Amino acid sequence: MERKQRFMSEKDEYQFQHQGAVELLVFNFLLILTILTIWLFKNHRFRFLHETGGAMVYGLVMGLILRYATAPTDIESGTVYDCGKLVFSPSTLLINITDQVYEYKYKREISQHNINPHQGNAILEKMTFDPEIFFNVLLPPIIFHAGYSLKKRHFFQNLGSILTYAFLGTAISCIVIGLIMYGFVKAMVYADQLKNGDFHFTDCLFFGSLMSATDPVTVLAIFHELHVDPDLYTLLFGESVLNDAVAIVLTYSISIYSPKENPNTFDAAAFFQSVGNFLGIFAGSFAMGSAYAVVTALISFVCQLLFPLTPLCHLTKFTKLCEFPMLETGLFFLLSWSAFLSAEAAGLTGIVAVLFCGVTQAHYTYNNLSSDSKMRTKQLFEFMNFLAENVIFCYMGLALFTFQNHIFNALFILGAFVAIFVARACNIYPLSFLLNLGRKHKIPWNFQHMMMFSGLRGAIAFALAIRNTESQPKQMMFTTTLLLVFFTVWIFGGGTTPMLTWLQIRVGVDLDEDQKEEPSSHQEENNLGKSTTKSESAWLFRMWYGFDHKYLKPILTHSGPPLTTTLPEWCGPISRLLTSPQAYGEHLKEDDVECIVNQDELAMNYQEQGTSPCSPPGEDQKASPHTPSKENIYEGDLGLGSYELKLEKTLSQSQLN
Amino acid sequence: MHPVLPTKWWSLFSLSYPGWPCFFSFTKGVLQKCCQIHSDSSAMEELATEKEAEESHRQDSVSLLTFILLLTLTILTIWLFKHRRVRFLHETGLAMIYGLIVGVILRYGTTATSGHDKSLSCTQEDRAFSTLLVNVSGKFFEYTLKGEISPGKVNSVEQNDMLRKVTFDPEVFFNILLPPIIFHAGYSLKKRHFFRNLGSILAYAFLGTAVSCFIIGNLMYGVVKLMKIVGQLSDKFYYTDCLFFGAIISATDPVTVLAIFNELHADVDLYALLFGESVLNDAVAIVLSSSIVAYQPAGLNTHAFDAAAFFKSVGIFLGIFSGSFAMGAVTGVVTALISFLSLTGADVTKFTKLHCFPLLETALFFLMSWSTFLLAEACGFTGVVAVLFCGITQAHYTYNNLSVESRSRTKQLFEVLHFLAENFIFSYMGLALFTFQKHVFSPVFIIGAFVAIFLGRAAHIYPLSFFLNLGRRHKIGWNFQHMMMFSGLRGAMAFALAIRDTASYARQMMFTTTLLIVFFTVWIIGGGTTPMLSWLNIRVGIEEPSEEDQNEHRWQYFRVGVDPDQDPPPNNDSFQVLQGDGSDSARGNRTKQESAWLFRLWYSFDHNYLKPILTHSGPPLTTTLPAWCGLLAQCLTSPQVYENQEPLREEDSDFILTEGDLTLTFGDSAVTANGSSGSHTASMSLEGGRRMKSSSEEVLERDLGIGDQKVSSRGTRLVFPLEDNVRLPAQSPE
Repeated sequence: MERKQRFMSEKDEYQFQHQGAVELLVFNFLLILTILTIWLFKNHRFRFLHETGGAMVYGLVMGLILRYATAPTDIESGTVYDCGKLVFSPSTLLINITDQVYEYKYKREISQHNINPHQGNAILEKMTFDPEIFFNVLLPPIIFHAGYSLKKRHFFQNLGSILTYAFLGTAISCIVIGLIMYGFVKAMVYADQLKNGDFHFTDCLFFGSLMSATDPVTVLAIFHELHVDPDLYTLLFGESVLNDAVAIVLTYSISIYSPKENPNTFDAAAFFQSVGNFLGIFAGSFAMGSAYAVVTALISFVCQLLFPLTPLCHLTKFTKLCEFPMLETGLFFLLSWSAFLSAEAAGLTGIVAVLFCGVTQAHYTYNNLSSDSKMRTKQLFEFMNFLAENVIFCYMGLALFTFQNHIFNALFILGAFVAIFVARACNIYPLSFLLNLGRKHKIPWNFQHMMMFSGLRGAIAFALAIRNTESQPKQMMFTTTLLLVFFTVWIFGGGTTPMLTWLQIRVGVDLDEDQKEEPSSHQEENNLGKSTTKSESAWLFRMWYGFDHKYLKPILTHSGPPLTTTLPEWCGPISRLLTSPQAYGEHLKEDDVECIVNQDELAMNYQEQGTSPCSPPGEDQKASPHTPSKENIYEGDLGLGSYELKLEKTLSQSQLN
Repeated sequence: MHPVLPTKWWSLFSLSYPGWPCFFSFTKGVLQKCCQIHSDSSAMEELATEKEAEESHRQDSVSLLTFILLLTLTILTIWLFKHRRVRFLHETGLAMIYGLIVGVILRYGTTATSGHDKSLSCTQEDRAFSTLLVNVSGKFFEYTLKGEISPGKVNSVEQNDMLRKVTFDPEVFFNILLPPIIFHAGYSLKKRHFFRNLGSILAYAFLGTAVSCFIIGNLMYGVVKLMKIVGQLSDKFYYTDCLFFGAIISATDPVTVLAIFNELHADVDLYALLFGESVLNDAVAIVLSSSIVAYQPAGLNTHAFDAAAFFKSVGIFLGIFSGSFAMGAVTGVVTALISFLSLTGADVTKFTKLHCFPLLETALFFLMSWSTFLLAEACGFTGVVAVLFCGITQAHYTYNNLSVESRSRTKQLFEVLHFLAENFIFSYMGLALFTFQKHVFSPVFIIGAFVAIFLGRAAHIYPLSFFLNLGRRHKIGWNFQHMMMFSGLRGAMAFALAIRDTASYARQMMFTTTLLIVFFTVWIIGGGTTPMLSWLNIRVGIEEPSEEDQNEHRWQYFRVGVDPDQDPPPNNDSFQVLQGDGSDSARGNRTKQESAWLFRLWYSFDHNYLKPILTHSGPPLTTTLPAWCGLLAQCLTSPQVYENQEPLREEDSDFILTEGDLTLTFGDSAVTANGSSGSHTASMSLEGGRRMKSSSEEVLERDLGIGDQKVSSRGTRLVFPLEDNVRLPAQSPE
């Protein structure tokens, strides 16, 4: 008897095992299909559908099949237990079922009206997965990768504008969307589509904050492919990356805004508490992320610094961490992951920490890595980013059909569409106007239009919306978010190329940057470039640059001037200890370098040392007519003979396109 | 034909994570409770639950962080050791030591807190559901099934919260950690010496494991009987349990020894024998243990011998093994076909190929390999075994179709995964000695097990080597046999199999014993490898590396095990090369004679039909297939193969184009009209030179170089650098 029953439950397990693997297989095959399609598209140079869009289409198709082609099976969780003995919900439940004790784990609370869908289609239920997976598994690699690839020379130049767009812009956009949506909600109450009191102003603000996370992967991919103006690219990319961080923290602070008496009236104390929360979490996550990155940089630096000096190493010719790129890569990966986990353990936002960890890693640690590890880390995170991104977009497509608590409300959706456009406009145009007052390089109108146009919503908005779908307003928000993501990714993403030509934005520009970067590891400053770049940025950033270049870079990496020259006299011993022999070496070598190449590091421009510029300004002038972009030259490019050739190729390439 | 495992294994995942079992179970602890953090209900008790959930999320993060920091520490120490050429302690041994230390701290440094468990008797239902909706005072809560608790253990359900946090679901090992390790092993099996010794390796792996399993099982049964007499046994321990122990402990895993061999360049034959044996061994042991578990006699006495049940078990073994093998091989072949078709198919469209998008290629490779695992699991086979054979097939066929960059990418990716997973498992082992709360230490059993594994190993190596030596030309020398005997380390696989089910008393005792055996073998035997090598007079440093080579090799050790054999130009006896060109027939004969006729048959089949169909190497199908299949052969053969064929006849190959460049020659010549040829040719020849060095494996297989074709292909190849430039920034974001 016992055996038989056991056999039964084993059979059950088999069923589950079967199911679990099958669902993963479904996703796997969707991804494989997506990859093959992308490959086809890339072959034919189709630009109107990005891979993420493709993944969504496949997800939709699969969702449709699952929804309508599978018979609704009876899910087992149908039974509702009434246990009078329980007064609260414990985290673990031991249940004695016919003398067999089973351990159950608390999953979530289900509101009354959601019970029925839970008893519905088992397959659909299986295909829906825990929303926290997005935050703990899928988003971190994406965000880290974004941070890790932020290291563009134009990023720091435009840092001020990017920060303004990201912080002020997101706040503005959040409030504007919240207000407009509140208006629509009131209208819906009038139109009897909504009960009064269901949808509070905080909910609207919540929607506004999650909707403010832009994610123009599609647009950026096209920009990258077409080599659109790097300034525009950096502005958009930087904004979208920082935007995500701001939106996540903002959403969190709005959701914990809970005034004492009436939960939905304004309460100054609660408001300030929320603001404090926002600042605290943001600063904490920032600190955590950068701290880990600095630790990584120090480890990799110290490893390189100490051991070549020991006589043993010279004897055995056994060397640095550089010699073991796998260890290096492993270390890098583990420490970056630690940043996420530590932030979560400390009650901060792991994703934000990971973002800043990525930025700092790229700024310092990257320079310490061996060239092999540089490639490996890049490829590793690129790969993870690719997979995670496509899984999310695939899941989005799937969720439209498999998610069982959708609430489609035409008015709300319409309102949301209007709201995001208005909010995007309120974010871009006034801020650009203000920024243009202070910028030397104005942000022209066509850039502003393009930025306005690139307000796509993506993975972050989706993840934030799916995180909580318990209450009715949240479900409505989720549905609306999903539709907005679809719309923006397909329509805007597809319309990028026409839009670029229509707005007459330069295309095929930054090719030179990548080509120059490889030949030499010696970086030098260019006086002309230095002064222009300096004047371009605000004094605050200039100060930071100076500090970064003089103290942080030498301490954490092998580049920059030796500390002995930058630190005051009395710190002599410390500085000598901290300076790597390479820094001296490079310093000496710099004088007789034939050509400078790498413009990648903007920070190099701030080298205060009077090392002679490697090539006379005359050559610089000579090269300029060949450059397609005037700006690049002023930013400190040097054109030498071989460089001209490459530029010609650039031109021909752009013609080809 | 599903193996009826008593463990609740897959269900654990699918229940707690509908839909995404494998992928997410690793972060299981982290994710478990966070979904309600933000539910904005204001009821006090819920707030309490929420707080508790948040707290638990933090604790999960902390415990995961502990592991990550352990790994970081391990890496730093390994690096130091490598630096000083300390060989007596391998990284895995080190990981275990750190794990032990942290385990001690957790065990004795934290206070025991009580969990909030509540037992509830419900008699409404007669079976357990995956999800449970519980109505608690008007509110509905969803609970997911975590596991079955054996009666009697209810009271001792992990009291210490912290210890519970650092205890992972054992299935994590099988679904997350082992697959990359095993796949990597399979993927790096492509050694030239592997196929030469295939017969011996298979004999060791199959027969040897079976012999070892039975001997250990019998010896342990004796020990158990003895314990019963002495009165040390407090619960049932059947003969099947002993056999099960024999099966799990037969999975050898000499990572430590192999790493040292690799570093010292010990004899390649010995290396191939050991490596091949240990890899296949794992597969056999997994399937063997699951078929022993599935052994269920029909009668009332469940532990008596029953011929029908026995044969059923044997059938299950064969079925699962061959099923997993077929599954793995098929997916590998499909991947090869996709990558192959994407090469030839692209020919028609005259556009760029999958080669130009190494990211896509890598992702495809990864997903296909993962699908193998899932597919096998979905069909009721063993995913780990399928993944192993998938890895071997991928290395054999798909690898040849990949672009140079994707090759290094896939290798590096799996290498990192393998490295992390392996060290994670070993540090978890160290931790488990203290944090696992149901250890049963039985000195008699442990001593018996130690004796048994040595006897089992001896009874497996020496007789089999004797029989193999009858048929082998290259005899396996005595010192090799001793070394193989010595290298019977136990590792991750034995541990994972043992931890899979720790419900009964017998299993707990086995788990404890396995843990101790792993510790002992990894530390003592692993540490004694270098002395043993010199004592047994085994040749070391055979390849006589120059200074540069030495650098390279040391470096390569950290890449994939494949490399040292693959990367040097194949002027020594690489098998495929021999098969590839008939010119060097003398050596071909030698290799042929070395292997048995069965393998010769397989080789020629592989070379004549499979290789041409699946890769771009080998002779064109049109020449190997009979005449009546001409049409079929023509459409299956890639044009490159024809070109491969031609240059072999032409002697004046001064400029060798490798596989990577080959594909470029099919570009549309019309596109070349965009001028600026000078610079491209320069850069191309540079690139060609680089590739020539980097992928020398294929040089002889498919080299191609003709004076006049060079000119024409230069013209056509102009297409590529242009697109290369477009692509370059796309994949190297600064």
